[in-house]
Amino acid sequence: MCIFRHRFAFILLLVILGACSSGESELPAGVDQKVFRYSMDSAPTSLDPVRASTLYANQLVVNLYDTLYVYKYLQRPYELRPNLATAMPEISPDGLTYTIPVKQGIYFADDPAFPGGKGRELTAHDFIYSLKRHFDPSTRPAGAWLWQGRIVGLDEWKQAGSDYAQEIPGLRATGSHVVQIRLKRPYPQLVDTLALGFSGVVPREAVEYYGREFSINPVGSGPFRLVSYDSSRAVLVPQENFRREVVDLEYEGYDAATQSQYGVALIDGRIPPFIDQLEIYFIKEGSARWSSFTKSNEIQYAGLPNEQVDRVLVSTNPVTLNPGYAEQYHMKTALEAGFVFSTFNMDFPEFGYNDDPERERRNHALRCAMIRGFDWESRNDSWYSGIGKVFPGIIPPVVPEYDAGLSRDSVIYDPEGARSLLAANGWNTATLPVLTYGTTPGPTSRLFFEQFRAWMMRIGYPKEKIVLKTYATFGDIAKAWRNSELPLISKGWGLDYPDAENTLQLFYGPNASPGSNDGNYRNAEYDEMFRQAGVMLPSPVRTDLYHRMNQLVIDDCVAITGLSRVGIALWHKNVIALPDRNFVGGRFMYYVDVLDPDAPEVQALR
Amino acid sequence: MSARAEVAVSVGAHGDSLWSKALRKFRRDRVGMWSLAVVLAYAVVALGVVLGLWAGDWADVSGPKWAPVSGEYWFGTNIIGQDIFARSLYSTRTAFEVGLVVALGATALGAVLGSTAGFFSGSWIDEVIIWLMGVLDSVPFILLVAAISYTLQGSPWAMHIAMIATFWIGTARLIRGEVIKLKSLEYVEAAHAIGVSRFMIIFRHILPNTFHILLVQATLSFVAAIKSEVILSFLGLGVKDGMSWGLMISESTFEVLAGFFNNFIAASVLMFGLVMAFNMFSDALQDALDPRTVK
Repeated sequence: MCIFRHRFAFILLLVILGACSSGESELPAGVDQKVFRYSMDSAPTSLDPVRASTLYANQLVVNLYDTLYVYKYLQRPYELRPNLATAMPEISPDGLTYTIPVKQGIYFADDPAFPGGKGRELTAHDFIYSLKRHFDPSTRPAGAWLWQGRIVGLDEWKQAGSDYAQEIPGLRATGSHVVQIRLKRPYPQLVDTLALGFSGVVPREAVEYYGREFSINPVGSGPFRLVSYDSSRAVLVPQENFRREVVDLEYEGYDAATQSQYGVALIDGRIPPFIDQLEIYFIKEGSARWSSFTKSNEIQYAGLPNEQVDRVLVSTNPVTLNPGYAEQYHMKTALEAGFVFSTFNMDFPEFGYNDDPERERRNHALRCAMIRGFDWESRNDSWYSGIGKVFPGIIPPVVPEYDAGLSRDSVIYDPEGARSLLAANGWNTATLPVLTYGTTPGPTSRLFFEQFRAWMMRIGYPKEKIVLKTYATFGDIAKAWRNSELPLISKGWGLDYPDAENTLQLFYGPNASPGSNDGNYRNAEYDEMFRQAGVMLPSPVRTDLYHRMNQLVIDDCVAITGLSRVGIALWHKNVIALPDRNFVGGRFMYYVDVLDPDAPEVQALR
Repeated sequence: MSARAEVAVSVGAHGDSLWSKALRKFRRDRVGMWSLAVVLAYAVVALGVVLGLWAGDWADVSGPKWAPVSGEYWFGTNIIGQDIFARSLYSTRTAFEVGLVVALGATALGAVLGSTAGFFSGSWIDEVIIWLMGVLDSVPFILLVAAISYTLQGSPWAMHIAMIATFWIGTARLIRGEVIKLKSLEYVEAAHAIGVSRFMIIFRHILPNTFHILLVQATLSFVAAIKSEVILSFLGLGVKDGMSWGLMISESTFEVLAGFFNNFIAASVLMFGLVMAFNMFSDALQDALDPRTVK
C-alpha cells in the first residue's frame, strides 16, 4: 500500500511537471530555436487594425498585417519607403489624386477562413475593403479621423449605410493591383497615414469567417502569424507565405557612426524574419518587468524604470550605463514622438470663455498665472530622471518643424510673477474658482496631483479649492475629457506621424469635444491658418504658419506645455536589434536576430 | 439565582460600582497604563494636527527628491520633495479621525440594533435585524467598500460608511445576547410593571448595563478601522484627499525598488505602535471590566 502510494505520488509529480513544461513553448523540443521575448506594460484589447489606437495594439498589428508603406528601419529623421506598394505614390499636379501600385505575389497567411485553408493573393481590393471598414460603424473604428472629410465619397458612403457593394468614387482599384485615392483637398500627410497600423490590410473572408472574434484571430500578410494570445502574452511565429526580401541596410538608413554598436550590420544581405518565435509579454508592474529582464532566460527587452535609474546609470547627462550593466545589455535613449501637457477646458466659464468680456480677460490672466506657477523642471527631475526635454508650445522637438529659437518664457517657473499677475487682475483666495483635477487611481497619479496642487498653493491657490476627482479607469477619465466634464485635462499625446500638424490639430476649433481638441479652444485666426497649412507640402511657408499657430496657443495661455520624455530602452547583448517605440514601432521586430550569447559576434559587442 | 448574580456584578460586594472596581484594576495593570500613555501620546499628536500646531506643511513640495534623514527632514522626503515626517504626523490625525468616527458609529449602531433585537427576541423585529446582519456579513468587505464608494461617487466618507456598515454587526450580536439575559431580570420586570415604555426600558434601563461591552467593542473597532483604512488606502479605495499611512505605504511600492525605504518604515512603524498600544489597552480594559478577573 505504501509502495503504491509512493508510485502514485511519483506519477502525479511527473504529470504536474509535464503540465508545467508544456505551457512554456510552442516550439518542438530538442531543437535550438531563436526566440525573442519582448515586453510591454499592457495588453492590447483588440488585434483588429480598425481598433489599433493604442501603442500596445499597434506593436502587434504591424507584425501581423502589412501596410502599403513603412518607415525605414534605421533612417533618422524618419523616412517612408514602399512596403506593399511597389513605389511611392504617383501624385497628380493638383495634389488630389494618389495612384499607388501594389506588389503582386503577396499572400495572406494560411487560415481556415480561406477555401482549403490556403491564404490567397492580396489585391488592391483588399486595401479598399480595409479602409472602408473604418467608416463602418459596426466595426467600432478608432482611426476614422485620419481620413474623415478627406476622401471623395467616403463620408457619404458611411452616411448611406456602409454598403460594401457600393463603390466610392475617391477610393477605387483601377486594376487588380493599383489603388487610386482621390482627395477633396490636398492632404500631404496621407502617405504617413498609410504606414500606420490602422492601415493594415485585412482579407474580407477572415473578417466574415470570425465575425466579432476577428479581433483575436488575426489573419494578415505580415511577417508573423499569431499562435496564442491571452492576457499575459502573445506568441507569434514567422508567417510561411511571407515574401522573401533581402535587407539592404544602406537603403534602410544605416548609420555606422551611431548604430554599429548594436550589431545591426550583421543582418545586411539576409532575409528576415530571423527568429523562430516571437513572444510578447504583457507585464503591467514595472518592478516585475525589470525583475524578469535582469534574469538571463526571460524577457530580453525592457524600458528602464524611473526608480532604477540611480542604480543602473552612472550618469544621466549623458546617459551612461553602469559598467556592469553595459557588459550585459545594449542601451538606447530616444526622445519620444509626443509630449505630456495639460489643457484648460475653454468651455468652462470659470477658466475659459465667458459671456462677460471682463471676466474673460481675468480668466486669461488666471490661466497665464497657473502656467507660470507650473514647475516643469521639478516635474522632469521627479518623474523623468531630469532627462526629458521641456519645451514651450505644442510643437515637440521630435518633429522637423520644432522651433528651437522660441522664447522659453512659458516654461519658466515664476511663482512670484504668477502671484503678482493674479493680484493685478483681482484674483484672491476668495475669488479664485474651484478647480476639479481628474485622475486615475494609483500612487503615481496621486503624487502628480499633489505636486500640481502644491505649486498652485505657492501662487496663492487655496488647498481646498483644488479638488481631486478619481476615475476608476483610464477609459472613464478619457470619457470625461470627451464629454467636457473637467476644467483641466492632463494627458500625453503620441504622434501618429512625424509632422507637427498632428499636434496642432489638438487645438483646431472643429475638432472640439468629443473630438481631439478636448480643451475646446476656438480661435478663428488659428483655425484659418490650420486650414491653410493643411493643404501645403512641407515648406518654409507652412513651417511659418505652424510657428504662428504655436505662438497663438502660447499667447492665449490655453495649455500648460510641455515635456517630451526620453525613453531608455535596454535589451540583451545577444539580441541584434534597434528597438523603436515611435514611428517604426513594433515593426522593428521583423529585423530582430537572436544569437548565441557566447558567439564571437556577441563577444565583440560587449 | 442568575438574576441575583447579575445584580451583584452591577453593584459589587462592597457597594463599589463595576466602573470604580474596573478603574482600580486598570490602574494596577502596568502594561495597560503604558499602552494608554502611548495611545494618549498619539492622540496629542493628532490633536496638534487638528489645531494646526504642526504638520500644516504636509502637502508642500519644498524639499529635494528622496532626501535622506537629516536635521531639516527628520524622516527624509518623498519623490516629489514632501516632508515624510509632516506626512506621518498628518496621517496620525487621519488614523484617529477614521478610528473615532468608525468606532463611535459602529458601536452606536450595534448598540441600538443589538439591544432592539435582543429586547424583541423571537419577534419579527429580531428576525429582520438578524437577517440584515447575515446579509451584510456575507458580502466580502473589500467588495462592499468598492460598491459603496462607487455608489457615493468617490465621496470621502464612503470608506467610513462601509466600515460602519460592517463593523456594527459584531457589536450587535454581543449586545443582543446580553440584552436577552438582562431583560428577564427583576428590575426590568419592575419597570414593565410600573408602566415604563419599552423605548425607555431598552435605552434608559438595559443599555447602560451593557456599556462595559460597548467600551471594549469600541476599542476593538477603533483598531480594526485603522488597519482597514491602511489596507483600503493602499488599494486606492480609502482616503481620497488627504494623507494616511496606507497612502504612504502605497507610495513606497515603487520607492523601495530604488532603495528608498523612508515612507515604508515611517508609516509601518507608526501604525504598528498605535495598533499595538491600542490592542494592549483594549486587552487591559477588557480584563478590568471583567468581574470574573481577580487582581
